[in-house]
Amino acid sequence: MSVESGFDPKIVAFMCNWCTYAGADNAGVARMESPHNILAVRVMCSGRVSPEMVIRAFRSGADGVLVMGCHIGDCHYAAGNHRTAKRMPLLRNLLGYVGINPERMELAWVSAGEAPRFVEVTQAFTKKIRNLGPLAQEVTE
Amino acid sequence: MIAAIREAVAERLGSCDGVVALRRRNGGVAPHLFQKGDELAEMELSPRYPLMTVVSRLHKAFPAIRLGVVARGCDERAYVEMAKRNQIDPTRLEIIGFACTAEEAQACYCREPSPKHPVAGTPPAPGPPNPLVAKYDSLPLEERRSFWKKQFSKCIKCYGCRNICPECFCEACAMEDMAWVEPGLLAPPFPTFHLIRAMHMASRCVACRECEHTCPAYIPLTVLYDLMRRDIADLLGYIPGADIEAQQPLSLSLEQAPLKK
Amino acid sequence: MEYQNTLTTCIYCGCGCSMYVETIDGRITGVWPDKTNQISGGRLCIKGWNVTGFVGHPDRLKNPLLRKEGKLVEVTWDEALSQVAEKLSGIKRESGADSIGLMTSAKCTNEENYLMNKFARAVLGTNNIDHCARL
Repeated sequence: MSVESGFDPKIVAFMCNWCTYAGADNAGVARMESPHNILAVRVMCSGRVSPEMVIRAFRSGADGVLVMGCHIGDCHYAAGNHRTAKRMPLLRNLLGYVGINPERMELAWVSAGEAPRFVEVTQAFTKKIRNLGPLAQEVTE
Repeated sequence: MIAAIREAVAERLGSCDGVVALRRRNGGVAPHLFQKGDELAEMELSPRYPLMTVVSRLHKAFPAIRLGVVARGCDERAYVEMAKRNQIDPTRLEIIGFACTAEEAQACYCREPSPKHPVAGTPPAPGPPNPLVAKYDSLPLEERRSFWKKQFSKCIKCYGCRNICPECFCEACAMEDMAWVEPGLLAPPFPTFHLIRAMHMASRCVACRECEHTCPAYIPLTVLYDLMRRDIADLLGYIPGADIEAQQPLSLSLEQAPLKK
Repeated sequence: MEYQNTLTTCIYCGCGCSMYVETIDGRITGVWPDKTNQISGGRLCIKGWNVTGFVGHPDRLKNPLLRKEGKLVEVTWDEALSQVAEKLSGIKRESGADSIGLMTSAKCTNEENYLMNKFARAVLGTNNIDHCARL
């Protein structure tokens, strides 16, 4: 696919240690195929993902940023991902206000047992970013 | 109007250790701590300075003093958010509020041009919303981007927007952290610097517009912050500066402060 | 309990932005741009905002230093000034006044800079004088 469009996106995925990272691990153990474009950054909680981290990922050349954590109610720290759930929609809007396509950032809940969902989410997001084209066009043009 | 405020200040000087207000001296106007015996004729109401920052510094330097402050609507809103974040002790502060004039409200695009209980002035009609907000919000993505990139490219990274902001009091600032904002680059690379500040203004910005007035590059910063204010109201039903009892929702759980949409 | 804002002018360049230096009990706690000033109109650059940074800085020189046997040592103003006078007149005598150049500072007042100009042209006899704030 990447050969066809000539664009292989870089996607930074922040994954929480307790759910999504374990889910990604399980997907690997089960030999499921997830996109190679995903650059995993393990964080202890999706609540740790500050807006600065997402902005810096875009600045450093990411074409898309995924923030993934436990489902609401499953957070290892009880309400860490509640903060993520509030913060990320604000950041998404803000990206749109300055003209960065908000579709380039996504928040997804993936639990440790949802290896197939991890594959599904990452594949769909990679496909979306591939269609959107490189961010560099938008940022440095 | 100023006579009524001077009277209120003189009265407060009996019960408080001092009153923070503006004073004209040597041809300039600056914040001043009026104490017993000071010449109240030197007191002024304009231009605006972030007086609540002065109150906060005095409260921290002298943990027992009781202060009064001559405040506009924006000062009072700033006070509300600062008190929530432990920057001002509300039990040691008395607000002597006064309403802005209709012209001031218009010039500031101020939606609440008066404190809750003004001792002087009649609260005017709210100013119109900043027309730039609707204008740039309706532009297509590419045009918004070229507009903001052009604006941000004027930035000389003076940090004035942060320094003058009554809600910017963190001891360690993300905008000074080399991990997020690379040093030695002017203008700061799009979109790092300004997006970080805009994001941190969510649930804090009380629309006092001091940042925009002090920006030497004339960047229309409050357009971005007004949009953040709109979002936090739509998403979490929170209006910064409106209610001292309302907790700031970004640090609460979803049960305590649910998403509205 | 003493709170003061002292009106002053930024010392970092020739623009002359006006500002207040805020002190609480004699300690500098911040800088406010002077909003009533016609030149800067309540705006400052990063130098202005941080203009007080050097005041209490540990690297700040409080006494003249003189290099003696390869090492800088603190000396009195009398010793430092007589050393400078001696060396400058020596250089002027041996190589002429134009072998001396002067660089003045924005951290000095207008009057001090004027004196420096007089010193260069009238005392030393050279036009080799410049200033760091030649924006």
